Amino acid sequence: MDGKVKEPIRKKWIWVVLALILLGNVPWYWPKGIIEPIIFGFPSWAFVSVVFALLLCGFLSWLCLNQWNLVEEVEEEERKGEGELR
Amino acid sequence: MNLAFSGPDGIIILTLYAVVMLLIGYLAGRGQKGLHKSLSGYYLAGKNLGIIALFFTLYATQYSGNTIVGYAPTAYRDGFSWLQSIPFMTIIIAMYLMFAPRLYVISKRQNFVTPTDWITYRFQSKAVTLLAIFLMLWGLGNYLLEQLVAIGHAVAGMTGGTIPYEWAVIAFVFVMLTYEWLGGMKAVAFTDVMQGLVLMVGVVVLLAGALYLVECDFTDVTRYIAEREPAKAAAPDLETSVNWMSMLILVGFGAAIYPHAVQRIYSAESERTLKRSFARMAWMPPVTTGLVFLVGIIGIMLFPGLDEQGSEQLVGMMANQVASINLVFYWVMVLFFGAIVAAIISTADSVLLSFSSMLSNDVYGKYINPHASEERKVRFGKIGGIIAVAILLWIAWNPPATLYEIFVLKFELLVQVAPAFFLGLYWTRLSAKPVFWGMLVGAVFSGFMTLTGNDTVLGVHGGVIGLFINVLICVVGSYMTSVSTQSRRQMDEKLSMEI
Repeated sequence: MDGKVKEPIRKKWIWVVLALILLGNVPWYWPKGIIEPIIFGFPSWAFVSVVFALLLCGFLSWLCLNQWNLVEEVEEEERKGEGELR
Repeated sequence: MNLAFSGPDGIIILTLYAVVMLLIGYLAGRGQKGLHKSLSGYYLAGKNLGIIALFFTLYATQYSGNTIVGYAPTAYRDGFSWLQSIPFMTIIIAMYLMFAPRLYVISKRQNFVTPTDWITYRFQSKAVTLLAIFLMLWGLGNYLLEQLVAIGHAVAGMTGGTIPYEWAVIAFVFVMLTYEWLGGMKAVAFTDVMQGLVLMVGVVVLLAGALYLVECDFTDVTRYIAEREPAKAAAPDLETSVNWMSMLILVGFGAAIYPHAVQRIYSAESERTLKRSFARMAWMPPVTTGLVFLVGIIGIMLFPGLDEQGSEQLVGMMANQVASINLVFYWVMVLFFGAIVAAIISTADSVLLSFSSMLSNDVYGKYINPHASEERKVRFGKIGGIIAVAILLWIAWNPPATLYEIFVLKFELLVQVAPAFFLGLYWTRLSAKPVFWGMLVGAVFSGFMTLTGNDTVLGVHGGVIGLFINVLICVVGSYMTSVSTQSRRQMDEKLSMEI
């Protein structure tokens, strides 16, 4: 499993991207009071916030599956071994 | 709240839910003689939860019936800025990603049962362990209290008072205690599958009904709000944005290290199962808190001008209207209200199990009688849990005239344990004394802020400021403490990823 070990906390870019998504999600950069235009039923600022919220879901879900790998191979090998013994 | 379907129909459905839960509990515990003789067997389902059970138990634990009954009114009052409920539930997964991968490996190697096991293993300090136990039990106790109160309100509301509040609580607590006693974590996780499913379906149907009532035109709703109550649709001021960010931090760190959340990491059958469950959990906020948010927003148009008290009844009023559309919606709404009760119980049972496990493993197993058999330890926790519930019920029904606020403290206290996990897992220099003082000062500070009615300062939550002070003490204090090379090497080994 050498070289394949992946631990999210060790990858700086993950946390930079995460911070950027959060900064996009929180509506601090909109002028106070703005509503129009209404996009898909949402005030424009809320629509953008929803897009970033969905981006956050997708990013985190992808991270779980692709950037996290500590002992999976060892465990799955062991299981296979146990299965064969049975 | 008085519902159109109050009375017998509600009672039939609730009884049905109760019977199903008992049945699942019975089946989960049946034929497992060793279950009650092993701490990890009883409290962690033998560390063998597969992906379906693990996913649903994560889901049902994180989303309570309270999430629905409470979040829709908040959306009604705050308007579109309550969109924050989607990212703050999602960010919990990011926090998990910071510590769960490694904690999972170490917990398998060391056979951890409770979050405290990690703290004892890492810091080997009685003071840190005891303080962490205290903070976690206090937070869990209050969380449980909140759920118990909610069960009563939900059942009494659903049956239109036919089942009085107290009886409702006692009946469902009895059901919960029984299936938990029979099957431990396994029963909790399997009932969570049922409870989580009905909750998901219920929320979708409630939204569908609400959309039907406004003729499926959400843009109309937003235009209506923009004209009548523009503040609820307009981009918020800076303080609200700061509060939004602060909420992300507080809920993210707090919910990820809830003791019952940490124990779900320990319970996973394998790393593969754990990460796949989290990957699915990351998509749940839009389809749960997101949909509840929409229900609250639609409520602004359907029921304009409610005051705070009135808006708390929003979900009930909405369900009432939806139920009167036709017979299908009627029965789905009855099922939905039962689902809310079931969802509250599914959260309460996880909290109670975690509470019991800490009594068994930490209080009894570490300090009162370390040499007792595991069977004895399990029994201590089970009985202790029942006594705790009895005390909490007594408090719920006889709220003390003063200092009632101390029963509100939850996240503020729990979150102070976070540095012991997040820093402790990776930073070998972090030493016990600064962790203790950080935890203590952080908890006292944020507790004080809440008790004096200053929940936030310029939009930032007291718990977050407390956490900041806590981390500062941990970091500065650890740099000032000298650590020998040998002990750092030992720490490296302790935190290694060898399984």
